Amino acid sequence: MGTMGLALPWRARISSTLCERGTRVEPSEHLAGGPSSAAMDALSEDAALAAGCRSGDLRAYERLYRKHGARMKNLARNVLGNPTDAEDAVQETFLKVQRGIASFRGQSSFLTWTYRILINTCYDARRSRQRKREVANDDSEETPRLEPRAPGAHPTLRMALERALEKLTRHQRDVFLLYEVEGFRHAEIAGMLEMTETASKNTLFQAKKNLRLMLEPPRSSAAESR
Amino acid sequence: MNVTCSDRERIFEDGTPAEWAALETHAASCPFCAGVIRGWKSLSVAAKELREYSDSPSFWPRIERALTEQEARSAQRAERKGWFSFLPSFSPAWQTILTGALVLMLTVSGGWIYFHRPIQKIDNDKSLLRTSALKEVESAESSYERAIDKLAGEAQPQLENPATPLLANCHEKLLVLDSAIADLRVQAGLNPSNAQLRYQLLAMYQEKQRTLEEVLEAKP
Repeated sequence: MGTMGLALPWRARISSTLCERGTRVEPSEHLAGGPSSAAMDALSEDAALAAGCRSGDLRAYERLYRKHGARMKNLARNVLGNPTDAEDAVQETFLKVQRGIASFRGQSSFLTWTYRILINTCYDARRSRQRKREVANDDSEETPRLEPRAPGAHPTLRMALERALEKLTRHQRDVFLLYEVEGFRHAEIAGMLEMTETASKNTLFQAKKNLRLMLEPPRSSAAESR
Repeated sequence: MNVTCSDRERIFEDGTPAEWAALETHAASCPFCAGVIRGWKSLSVAAKELREYSDSPSFWPRIERALTEQEARSAQRAERKGWFSFLPSFSPAWQTILTGALVLMLTVSGGWIYFHRPIQKIDNDKSLLRTSALKEVESAESSYERAIDKLAGEAQPQLENPATPLLANCHEKLLVLDSAIADLRVQAGLNPSNAQLRYQLLAMYQEKQRTLEEVLEAKP
């Protein structure tokens, strides 16, 4: 896999920000001991949300939205490429949760289940958009059109990353977005994407390796051989 | 813990915090590994560029409205289903079995009724008499006619010399009735199976019988 014209001067652009921004750049899941009180709180909050939604309480849905709406919309936007489709996907996810909450048996966490619905809804929307393009005989653009976002610290880097993400496989893209962008743990991602935790770790590793190849400037062959 | 350059990728994939710390220590003396680690971590930093948690004030009201509408639709559907509230007590498999059994029962019943239906030998057109019925009617008619002729014979003397205007009227009426009976008999002869003609003929004979009885009752 080549750099596809996306090579960026990584060290020059990013190294200065490594210490400034609070990011998860090292493994965070090798925790010693049992679940923390924060984890227990999250579990009880999850159960309360599920119970509220099951009873048809709109306030429970609003609580779900207030806590996760922005993150859901961001994930949908990263999969679909534009905010309008992302909002439609999030709304459809809420409707699907309402329709399917009676069949939710609590085998996974409510949040994991909700995000799984969101991801599937996003890919349904992508497929539907692809079919519409095929019907319109417009096969010039296979990947979703990426609409501009609000200016960030590294707009060029962001655009390059967005384009590189589109070149990954679906699973690699999903795991990268869920882990690195949205901050989910591998255990949660495994539940959302119906894979094992090990598979999630391996997929993330493959995704980052591919992204590194696409985004980093080519190294000298001598250095590469090390 | 000692790590080398060859351990780097494995630690990237699934390294423990202790292994990461050892790798960092190794990177302090290995510029190549230091560069790769920095590039690896940079991906995580770059990923944060894709995080944009903006809130749109109109978005929740839109979702809330959609949820409310869906709930109302589902309530309507549940209300309609209420008419068939006994059905959910059976599983779909049982519903299928029951429907199949009902169809089978209807088919068997329909078949039985079809093959055991009463055979209707009587002609649906009741205005026509069959041969055996015609014989019975003709036989009854001739007996009735003979009886009335006998009655007419008894009344004959009074009718020939009517003593009162009533008897004179009866005489005229009997002449008219005889004429009508003669006409009907001619028509019945041409169309013997016509039951309607037979009914009219019977009515004429009954009228003649009543008139003759009046004549005989008026006998001084």
